[in-house]
Amino acid sequence: MRRAEPQPTSGWGNNFHSLGNRVSASSIAELQEIVAKNGSSRGLLPVGLHRSYGDSALNSGGTLIDMVALNQIDIDPLRKSAVVGGGVTIAALERAALKHSLFPPVVPGTGFVTMGGAIAAEIHGKSHHKTGSFSQSVRRIVLLLASGEITHLTPADPQFWATVGGLGLTGIILEVEIALRELQSNAVDVTEYRVKNLTSMIDLLIRSDNEFEHTVAWIDLSGDYRGRGVVSLGNYGATPVKIGAKDSKGPSIPSVAGLNFITPLSVKAFNEIWYRKPLKTGPVSLPKYMHPLDGIHNWNRIYGDAGFLQYQFVIDVGQEEIFEKLFAGLRGLKAASFLGVLKKFGAASQAPLSFPRPGWTLTLDYSMSVPGLEKFLREFDQELVSRGGRIYLIKDSRVEAGLLPAMYPELNRWREIRMAMDPNQLWQSDQARRLHLC
Amino acid sequence: MLNGFKSIGRLALIGSGSEIGQALVTKLVADNSPEVILIGRDGDFGLDITNKAAREGLVNQLFGKGDLDLAIIAVGVLGNNSAKSEIENLLDAMDVNYLGTVHLLALIAERMQVQAHGTILVISSFAQVRPRNDNFAYGSTKAGLDFYARGLAAKLRGTGVEVKILRPGFVKSKMTAGMTVAPFAITTEECATFAMKALKSKKTVTWAPSLLKYVAVVFATMPAALFRKISQR
Repeated sequence: MRRAEPQPTSGWGNNFHSLGNRVSASSIAELQEIVAKNGSSRGLLPVGLHRSYGDSALNSGGTLIDMVALNQIDIDPLRKSAVVGGGVTIAALERAALKHSLFPPVVPGTGFVTMGGAIAAEIHGKSHHKTGSFSQSVRRIVLLLASGEITHLTPADPQFWATVGGLGLTGIILEVEIALRELQSNAVDVTEYRVKNLTSMIDLLIRSDNEFEHTVAWIDLSGDYRGRGVVSLGNYGATPVKIGAKDSKGPSIPSVAGLNFITPLSVKAFNEIWYRKPLKTGPVSLPKYMHPLDGIHNWNRIYGDAGFLQYQFVIDVGQEEIFEKLFAGLRGLKAASFLGVLKKFGAASQAPLSFPRPGWTLTLDYSMSVPGLEKFLREFDQELVSRGGRIYLIKDSRVEAGLLPAMYPELNRWREIRMAMDPNQLWQSDQARRLHLC
Repeated sequence: MLNGFKSIGRLALIGSGSEIGQALVTKLVADNSPEVILIGRDGDFGLDITNKAAREGLVNQLFGKGDLDLAIIAVGVLGNNSAKSEIENLLDAMDVNYLGTVHLLALIAERMQVQAHGTILVISSFAQVRPRNDNFAYGSTKAGLDFYARGLAAKLRGTGVEVKILRPGFVKSKMTAGMTVAPFAITTEECATFAMKALKSKKTVTWAPSLLKYVAVVFATMPAALFRKISQR
């Protein structure tokens, strides 16, 4: 077990600077010792690679338990499943599974997420309309409870569903059994379309749902904010591609005096180039298709010292009107998003705090320094809630706690299950404090 | 907890009767809706600041219900109650402005260190710059408080906890009603604007108005004979 001096930790958005202790453990026995010996009122929080955007993986004054050393992977090709440690990353699991022509059915936009993180955030990917979210491929979770006990949870247990989307507040995910799907190759056959506005984009996504396992649209929210963009559709392919070194090791963004390079002008120029770029058709390697941004390490640094936030919400089909209100507001703020992603979700999972549910999900990135952004998003949240929508907690750094029961009607059920699992509040996070989750 | 915009989630005003404190809270809630806890005679909790057990009880209550992002310490008496003797007024000012306030400051700092975050705003005074015949008793208590707060701010560097000191000059309020208005006088509203500046500043000390920083240098270094002449006016 290694202990480090308290040092400021941030989420991926670099907009929080939290001081906590950090320990890393490489065995279950060490983790049990950490749990047994915690004497601080500020509690513990298991963490992975800090890809949550806000304060979900921060614990001011408490202790973060670095889980990445729990990285064993066992693939069972016959049962088409994997038993993996809580610290194993999606990227590592993909690499190991691909050797057996297998692949996790649900992967997020980045491969730099641990199994513990994927479950705690109940992540989703471009396949959500077909496969649901991450928990749909999880057969078993081995969880270290606050009492020091180790429990094996399956989808038949309410504690399983409290842990799914539970933001790390139910215990330490030691091991996970994941169902894998068989593949014919390591590639996705991709088709891309350029669309002139939001209506065409929505239309194309709806029409493509049945035919394609992977659907996602990149949306340009700069310039005239009409919602032009590129729709990307894909199916697992039959033709293998060579995975070059380029897929695993890419350039890094240096921090240039903490400056923010995301200005309306640079975004407009970038989005213009992106929109005009040649469309992809044909086979693309799985890692490259699934995790396009992983090629550039620390891309979050382009926002400089002020940091940024990611705003992701879901709204029912039929409520598309809200997009116009959003775009008008953003145009008014002159807030340009470098990355806007629109996706149609499929069925929800039964986890009380799971974010995805049928409807449209839109994801936007904004620098914290956009004047008026905080107020605008606060007002937009009200509009969102009045239309039955909700935001994704793993991306959040600013929602009002009072809106959560409306966004997550099963919040109290989650609280009850969680409280029974951790009556002394051992598991704590800054987000849980900020939003009065526990 | 602060959010990603650094907006306050929960704050306490200790000295809910303070007009500077009230004006500051009004500014702090204008853009957000933090939880505000008012402590004082008309507040959510009462507090006899001269009572040690009351101070300890208050801090337990404050921190027992969640993290505190900001504590504004705006308690203080001038010690000019005409019904009391000079000595009694001196004891009052010492008990409230120094003993009570410094103890409270230390208790809050201790709890914020456990949180590893939080800001304490201390309202000091221009009166602590140099003793004047008409207010040196009051000034001495503020000088003591100011001195302790500066030391605490330095000690807490790197812990996530910050102490900010506001040094107002003459502020036109109920507290100074009937007194001769001094040069560089400001309203409570203006003073609150400087308090906002203090909270955002990287520096420990903020003067209200800012010009007082230079006036203080002149005051402090002036020959005694000249100072006597000026302060007698």
